[in-house]
Amino acid sequence: MKNILLLGILLIAYTVKAQKYFTKTGFTEFKASVEAFEPVEAKNNSTTVILDTENGEIASLLFIKAFNFRVALMQEHFNENYMDSNEHPKATFKGKLLDFNYKSIENSKTFKLQGVLTIKGKPKTIDTTATLSKNGENLILESNFNVSPSDFDIEIPNVVRKKIAETVDVNLSYELVKKS
Amino acid sequence: MIKIKNIIFILTMVGNFICFSQDDLLAELESEAEYTSYELPAFKTMTIVNLQSTKIAAKKEFYFFVSHRFGSVKDGFETLFGLDNANTKIQFVYSFFEGVQFSLSRESWRQTYSGSVKYNIVKQSSEFGLNLVGFHIANINAEINEDLFPELETSDRWSFAHQLLISRRFSEKFSFQLAPTYIRENLQDLRAVAEANYNQFALGGGGRFKLSKRISINADYVYNFSRDGNNIYNNPLSIGVDIETGGHVFQILFSNAQSTNEPGFISNAGGDWSEGDIFFGFNIVRVF
Repeated sequence: MKNILLLGILLIAYTVKAQKYFTKTGFTEFKASVEAFEPVEAKNNSTTVILDTENGEIASLLFIKAFNFRVALMQEHFNENYMDSNEHPKATFKGKLLDFNYKSIENSKTFKLQGVLTIKGKPKTIDTTATLSKNGENLILESNFNVSPSDFDIEIPNVVRKKIAETVDVNLSYELVKKS
Repeated sequence: MIKIKNIIFILTMVGNFICFSQDDLLAELESEAEYTSYELPAFKTMTIVNLQSTKIAAKKEFYFFVSHRFGSVKDGFETLFGLDNANTKIQFVYSFFEGVQFSLSRESWRQTYSGSVKYNIVKQSSEFGLNLVGFHIANINAEINEDLFPELETSDRWSFAHQLLISRRFSEKFSFQLAPTYIRENLQDLRAVAEANYNQFALGGGGRFKLSKRISINADYVYNFSRDGNNIYNNPLSIGVDIETGGHVFQILFSNAQSTNEPGFISNAGGDWSEGDIFFGFNIVRVF
């Protein structure tokens, strides 16, 4: 009896550990465009994201250099002059979906998302919402929020100030696959 | 026995618990995330000063260059330190395919028309520490005529240069490049070069040092191995400052070569630094 109990507890503990959803090809984009000027926006298709469906904890990581701009020179300036991508190659997010309950998601459900976004080594608290929806076995997480270059000590010289928006829209869409 | 079982039971639970609490999600991602990161370009624009750099226009990028070299500073007041006798080159660069650029230009020095191609072989990345680029240029000298050279043939107007550009961005501030060069000059003016060297080998070296994010000091030098001692031309040394302002790059420079083409500046640099016989000039680069 005790043996069975022990085995049972071990199994439960194991399954609790394994409830994670993951992707390496998450889509993150930002838009800092100002009307009447060249669009300042870029897409990243290699964001890694992990969601623990037991407690709603979420973490994501992306490489700054993996942001693709339509204009190559803009991408070069972004990395070299604004983001110091060699010194700070990664941006990370660590947060939690509040009152998360995996079972409560039937088709899709919106949760509050809180966490800390770290860019150029500078942390910034993010408070937004995220929508989770089921796609077969997979989970799709979508969200958006605004940040400002000054939150991360990103200096914008006077010459180009008019061409870069003061608030930057960040959109993300991650299709998470159950991690074995 | 019961006691022992209990102890094992507790230990297992504790073990599990420790496993679970150690499970930092971000740390787990760090180990999963991988990315072949390409190094940023070693140089801001297509030339270090006179020497071609490993920078190539991106696909569908269109660049417009104006390269200007005033006359020799040595001429003094007579030409207002070289305001007259200037050489101007207008050049268009376009990339149809990723990693390959084509260029057409015309410079006033010997009324030279030229076409060139530059292509990427390897990019510096976390996997490989160098940029390798191939560069080929063909020039037509439209200035010479039968009055100057009675036995002139069309082929005499042509000159060519082929370069392998090897660069590395050593740090945020410092980049360096080597450029083994082969030159073919069909016309040899024996009054100037003393001995005919149709085929020449040269080695170029150049570097940049960034003073700030948008300003750098650049220099390049080319040693020509195939030059006769009585040749009137010298090896070109060029020193300049790059100023980048978003879509433009300004290069302000001094050089002992007035031509801005290969092999023009490599084989036919008429000035001499030691005599103050140098040319002031600038390159303006605009990207569309």
